[in-house]
Formats: sequence, structure tokens, C-alpha cells
Amino acid sequence: MVEHRASAELDSTFFALADSTRRAILRALTRRPATINEIAKPFPVSLNAVSKHVMVLERAGLLRREVKGREHYCWIEPRPLREADEWLEYYRLFWEQRMDALEVYVARKYRGSRRRIQHGKDR
Amino acid sequence: MEKTGDVRHRIQVRRKIPVPREVVYEAWTDPEGLREWMCPGDVISATATLDVRVGGSFHITMRSKERVHEHVGTYQIVEPPAKLSFTWSGVDNPNEITLVTVEFLDHGNSCELVISHERFTNADIAERYEMGWGTIAAKFSSYLNENLNRAQRPA
Repeated sequence: MVEHRASAELDSTFFALADSTRRAILRALTRRPATINEIAKPFPVSLNAVSKHVMVLERAGLLRREVKGREHYCWIEPRPLREADEWLEYYRLFWEQRMDALEVYVARKYRGSRRRIQHGKDR
Repeated sequence: MEKTGDVRHRIQVRRKIPVPREVVYEAWTDPEGLREWMCPGDVISATATLDVRVGGSFHITMRSKERVHEHVGTYQIVEPPAKLSFTWSGVDNPNEITLVTVEFLDHGNSCELVISHERFTNADIAERYEMGWGTIAAKFSSYLNENLNRAQRPA
């Protein structure tokens, strides 16, 4: 569950996702694995820059790479994304559920206190 | 990678409640009240000790059938009946310190609650992040997961 998740790993996931080029690279890799040359083609930046982005994604565990001869093949690793998502969704649900319960609790309490005030006035 | 700034991943939950904000504020600061609504869903019981003042700490224990969730934190802002802010971390994961801020907006006989839950991390690109970033990350990852699921499904 969320509590067991090492925060350093989550940090690197969020860090990696904070850049639009890196998000575009991941998006392209959801279609199929690709070499670094293929990944770099649509971007108006140098192969070297793309290579650095790939390294950041790799360190965050979002991308895996295999070297075959002179080519580096890359594919997406979905696990860290699911876990980053999990933190956010866990606490969204956590607070939504508690707000449901809070609403019921305060409504009951408020009705009770008004009744007491009303009752007090009658007497 | 040298890390300098604080990065926020933020969840925001808003809720309108047809009860004056003083009553809602009390439900957050009275341990008897808190344990009543801190145990929804599969949580069977909750206990709370609260020292509601700036620098005071709290300890909330929620028991479900499978396990016990314990959370601790320290109050950072105490402004009755308008605002509460406290750090929040799980006892079994003390390194992950997060910040919860609860605003009680006054609408006369009703109240709007705004809960912001932020996770702080260090990263050297803090200025590029803005509020709502958490939601963007969540949306983006579910988008990717959807595509992946589609790609992995046999044709």
C-alpha cells in the first residue's frame, strides 16, 4: 500500500514527468518500443539532449533500455506511473470518504444542538 | 542530481456542508468528534489524541479488519474557526511528511471545506512545478496506462 512506497522513488517519477519532452517520449513509447534515433526524430533538439532525457526516464524506472550492437532499444515501464498515481488516488479517496462521514456527523450534531436550544426556549 | 527546492504534489478536495463553520471546525478539533468521522469504509474504529495549538501534535489510529493505520503530525496553523494546517505522516513511513491544510469558508449557515494535501519533495526544478501538478501527473499516467492496456491486450 501507499505507506510502504519509498518516497525517493516517487520523487524521481514526478521529477521525470515534469518535463514536456520526457512526457512526449513516453507517449511515443506507449505505441511501440523504439531506438534512441527513432525517439529523437520528431523533436527539434539534439540527439544528445534526447539521450539525456532518456537517462532521466531510465533512472526514474519509467523506461528500460537494451543495447543491441550499436542501437539502444527503449521501452516503457509502467509500474512507477501506476504507483505515483496510487499515492494521489489513495489520498483523494481517503479525504472524500472522510468528508462523506464528516457531513453526516456534523449534520446530526447540528440538528441535536438546535433542538436543545429550541427545547430550552420552550421551557 | 543536486536538489534545491520544494516541489508540491497537491490534492484538493472541496465540500459544501449545510452547517455553520464553527460546528464543522469543532468536528476537526474535538477528539470525540474526529473519531466519529475518521472511520468510514472498512475502518472499524478510530481513536485520536489532539493537542490543537501551533506546535502541538496529534495521533490518530484507525483500525480496519486487516491492519492498523496510525498517523501523526504537528499543527502549523490554528485559526478557529477558519483554518487548520498540520503535518501528516504515517507511523510506518515517517520519512514521508506531508502537509494538510483545511480551510473552513464561511457561507452563513453553511460552510465550504477546502482540504489541500501536499507532498513535499526536493528537486532542482521547483519553479517549473505549479499547483495542480499532482492532478496533471495522475491524468497523464492514467492516459498512459490506458494506452498500455490497449497495446497489451491480444488483438
